[in-house]
Amino acid sequence: MNVLYGLYHPDGGELAFDGQAQKVRSPQDAIARGVGMVHQHFTLVPNLTVAENVVLGAEPTRGGLFDLEAAVRVVDETCKKLGFSLDARARVDRLSVGSQQKVEIVKALRRGAKTLILDEPTAVLTPQETDDLFRITRELSEQGSTVVLITHKLKDVLAFATRIAVMRRGRKVAEVRPADTTGAQLAELMVGGAMHDPAAPPSPLGATEPFLTLEGVSAEGLHDLSLEVRAGEILGVAGVDGNGQRELAEVVTGLRPLSRGRLKLGATHWSQLTPAQARACGVAHIPEDRLHRAMVADMTVEENVALGRQHQAPFARGLFIDFAGRRARTAQLLEAHDVRPRDPVARMGSLSGGNQQKLVVARELDTAPRLLVVVQPTRGLDIAAVNAVRQKLLERARAGCAVLLVSLDLEEVLALADRVVVMFEGRLNGTFTRGACDERELGRRMLGAAA
Amino acid sequence: MLQLVDALLSSTLDAAPALVFAALGAVLSERAGVVNVGVEGMMRAGAFVAAVAALVMPTPLGVVLGMLAGAALAALHAWLCIRFRADQVVSGMAINLVMLALGTFLLEARFSPNGTPSIEQLTRWGSGVPVLGGHTALTWLALAAPFALHAVIQRTRFGLRLRAAGEKPQAVAAMGVSVSRLRFVAVTCGGLLAGLGGASLSVATLDRFEHNMPAGLGFMAVAAMVFGRWTPLGAAAAAAFFAFGNALRIGLTSSAPQVLEVIPQGVLLALPYLLTLLLLAGQKRGAGKAPAALGTPYDPELR
Amino acid sequence: MRRALPSILSVAVAVGVSFIAAALTLGSVSQTASAFGAMVEGALGDWPRFFETGNATAVLRPIGEAATKAGLLTLTGLSVAVAFRVGLFNIGAQGQMVVGALAAAFIGARLSLPAALHLPLALLAAAAIGSGWALIATALKLWRGVHEVISTIMLNWVAVSLVENWLVVGPLRATASGTNSVSGTAQILPTAELPRVMAESSRLNLGFFLAVALALAVSLWMQRTRAGYESRAVGLAPRAAEAAGISVSRRLFEAMAVSGALAGLAGGVLILGTELKYPATLASPYGFDGIAIALIGQSHPLGALASALFFGALRAGGTHMQLYGVHKSFPELIQGLALLLVAAKLFWERLLKQRIATRTRSPV
Repeated sequence: MNVLYGLYHPDGGELAFDGQAQKVRSPQDAIARGVGMVHQHFTLVPNLTVAENVVLGAEPTRGGLFDLEAAVRVVDETCKKLGFSLDARARVDRLSVGSQQKVEIVKALRRGAKTLILDEPTAVLTPQETDDLFRITRELSEQGSTVVLITHKLKDVLAFATRIAVMRRGRKVAEVRPADTTGAQLAELMVGGAMHDPAAPPSPLGATEPFLTLEGVSAEGLHDLSLEVRAGEILGVAGVDGNGQRELAEVVTGLRPLSRGRLKLGATHWSQLTPAQARACGVAHIPEDRLHRAMVADMTVEENVALGRQHQAPFARGLFIDFAGRRARTAQLLEAHDVRPRDPVARMGSLSGGNQQKLVVARELDTAPRLLVVVQPTRGLDIAAVNAVRQKLLERARAGCAVLLVSLDLEEVLALADRVVVMFEGRLNGTFTRGACDERELGRRMLGAAA
Repeated sequence: MLQLVDALLSSTLDAAPALVFAALGAVLSERAGVVNVGVEGMMRAGAFVAAVAALVMPTPLGVVLGMLAGAALAALHAWLCIRFRADQVVSGMAINLVMLALGTFLLEARFSPNGTPSIEQLTRWGSGVPVLGGHTALTWLALAAPFALHAVIQRTRFGLRLRAAGEKPQAVAAMGVSVSRLRFVAVTCGGLLAGLGGASLSVATLDRFEHNMPAGLGFMAVAAMVFGRWTPLGAAAAAAFFAFGNALRIGLTSSAPQVLEVIPQGVLLALPYLLTLLLLAGQKRGAGKAPAALGTPYDPELR
Repeated sequence: MRRALPSILSVAVAVGVSFIAAALTLGSVSQTASAFGAMVEGALGDWPRFFETGNATAVLRPIGEAATKAGLLTLTGLSVAVAFRVGLFNIGAQGQMVVGALAAAFIGARLSLPAALHLPLALLAAAAIGSGWALIATALKLWRGVHEVISTIMLNWVAVSLVENWLVVGPLRATASGTNSVSGTAQILPTAELPRVMAESSRLNLGFFLAVALALAVSLWMQRTRAGYESRAVGLAPRAAEAAGISVSRRLFEAMAVSGALAGLAGGVLILGTELKYPATLASPYGFDGIAIALIGQSHPLGALASALFFGALRAGGTHMQLYGVHKSFPELIQGLALLLVAAKLFWERLLKQRIATRTRSPV
């Protein structure tokens, strides 16, 4: 898709628009050919207004100066045509994720996009916002535009698409129509073989002691939160992006100071917790932002394996680094978790994203954790790696580890969790147990509806 | 008393252009997302070239050449930072070190170790008028430039793109605008202004290039920029304030030496820097925020 | 060794470029060549004369001078490198050096103690106050979010103004003896002097060996200890280090304290070994040079040592260029140009990648 949009350059072959072969060297070329793209991570300037963002790159001017009024009119007109509303003068960073996505769409249309590429558009939306989005895209295709939806959510393509192209490792492996296929068939096509759905076996709920307990915890972004995670259970945390899920994970791992309340890890109460203390209590952390939170790209693989346990055996001896011990343990982990390349002195940053994540998971599991805090563990991974990571989480939980799983992907939460809590504006807004989950109801709660 | 105030303001207006132009240059560069601690070196280049050129040609032409010298160094800085992803602070400091040594070497090899011969200063106008009179065109320009730059940043197409490039370059690139070109232009124009600041030292404030020019004014311009929260008006106000402080100190030394018995000269010299530190320390955390993408090279494959 | 390649090539190109620049300015290649020859002779000693006359001073004095300068550059280079390793840009080595120098001059002149105590105390004071000066910037960074580049720049000027325009000309100025007017602080006592190692042939003193020992110690700390590993992690990925249970602020404080101490120590060594009092103006920008030394040394302690040795030698030779109309600061131009070239990170990465590619392709 980045090739189509001119961000990457094709090594061979050609692109055709309206039956004509054309070269796309830059996003500018792509825009000129009527291609617009909405990235998974929005490319909006947070401190500019909606109108300024929409016209950026092709600004209306009057007498040499930037014409804000004209920009506002453009936004209002496009919104009206598609039947939704946006405040053109609002700063983008004050808008909800769903609205920001609409700004992206307006932006692309403003540039005369006939082909609109949506990259994982539903990953961060609630079911209601997703419905809204698909209503808009349907409107677009009826008005004669082409919409390309890139997603790993099978349900979305089945509900939305007129045609489905299945890609695997950079090749198109099949093209089907939604009416002629099922989710299971699609999944098979994607992985290139029968897929083992890591269905969660029933777990011994209620039989175990809570390992983590939050008692009236408040912190920046969190308000009066009480919950518990039992040994052997996966507690899923659902919510729209930015409603306190990350803050919850940070509080439990000691990265965010508590302002009120306390938390209990095992038998110890904490009203202030540092990351080092959390680790000492048996908390392991697989953070969302792998590149910046979980690894040091410019260090070697073995130095990254030591990260978090740099002060203990086999990584240290006294005040000094135990080079031999570190090498041995690294070799062991690379083998056991199939991380490639099997080179302990390779630069961490040179590994593929999937292998980096495998190493991070391997390292955190190697600490024999009693509580595993996992945030968006499969984001950006290919389907094989996704399954491998999910399998490891389930194994660990069944072996008695408590797991706190935060994911913006509702499907993932539902697939793995024994219980699900919904967060809204830093508070709990409902608890569901496995089997008693109604996806619509979850979505309502994620948007703040009361029980 | 009135006379004293008049003299004070007048000497402030005389010294301020150097700081104001340099601070504005720094603002332009940093709003586009490129750190510029090389202002000192660019000023030195501007001051040297302007003074040397004015030996053989009309002084205003020398000023233009001085500006171009500043711009050339800035272009080098931009080229290193944008094309080769050099650390922006390192590149800026390297430019300072090179210019410090190069200026000294050229001065020694071509002129005397202390400075160039005197040149004809820029014309001063309206010498009868109190306070505002008796200054060169650069003073007037320095009064107008902050507003002009403010208008450019807030009200033009270029300004909109500039702000966007400093906050989120990916957004600019996605809309088909070249971040690299935008930043290159901004940094180079910043150098033009820094060069002008330097030139105003050697052809307006004084009448020759002295061996230690600009003696830390470039760093002070950077402080003024931070102090003014990366806005043209704020930076210019801070620069004017520092220039006033300097004028006050010099005024005290000559007209009221008894004050120096109580407050030593060294303390007064340190005062503007101490004040900057104190005010920075007093600011609320995160207040006066720098552009979000400041200091990070734009990488098209990252988003 | 591969990491050193960009530096070595940069320095080579810088020498070439500065030669051309000098030749163009002086208008004579032969004069420039003579000037460069004088520089080499001033750096490495006049060996032909030594072999002809057996006069050891002809080589010992230049080499001693080069080592003295290299020692000071090593200390400030290490200072900048240590801070850089935890991700802080200590532009304030100059200010830290100035306050360190003043402390050494004060202790050296005002206390009378046996040599075994006096010298260490004076050095310690220099290190301590340099460290304290650096900690102001660290505290501002951690508690008030003030960027250290800005605060250390400010602190440099504060230090220079307070020391040279007030203390040295005011309260701490030496009292005039007889009719001679004196500038600067009082002469330090012999008990506080850094012992010279080559008797009268050179000013070389123990300071150089102290600097080399510290370079080795810092290298050991950074590369082989747990604490050094944590510091490097903090510098490369502070958020990951925090999540790994490393106390980021402790490591920052620690590194900045060491950085300031090394710069302060440079001031101490300069006073106790070379100047023997705080002169009217120090006029030695070793603190600023430290930035170039550290970065040309790729922020590695031993790299900083190597680049300090090279540029220390050039510095010593620079004074010999004056005869040919080249200012003694010419080696600083070479140093600045080299830094400019080293800064072009991506250029070197591409160049080296290509070299490796060609190497693997050629059948051996």
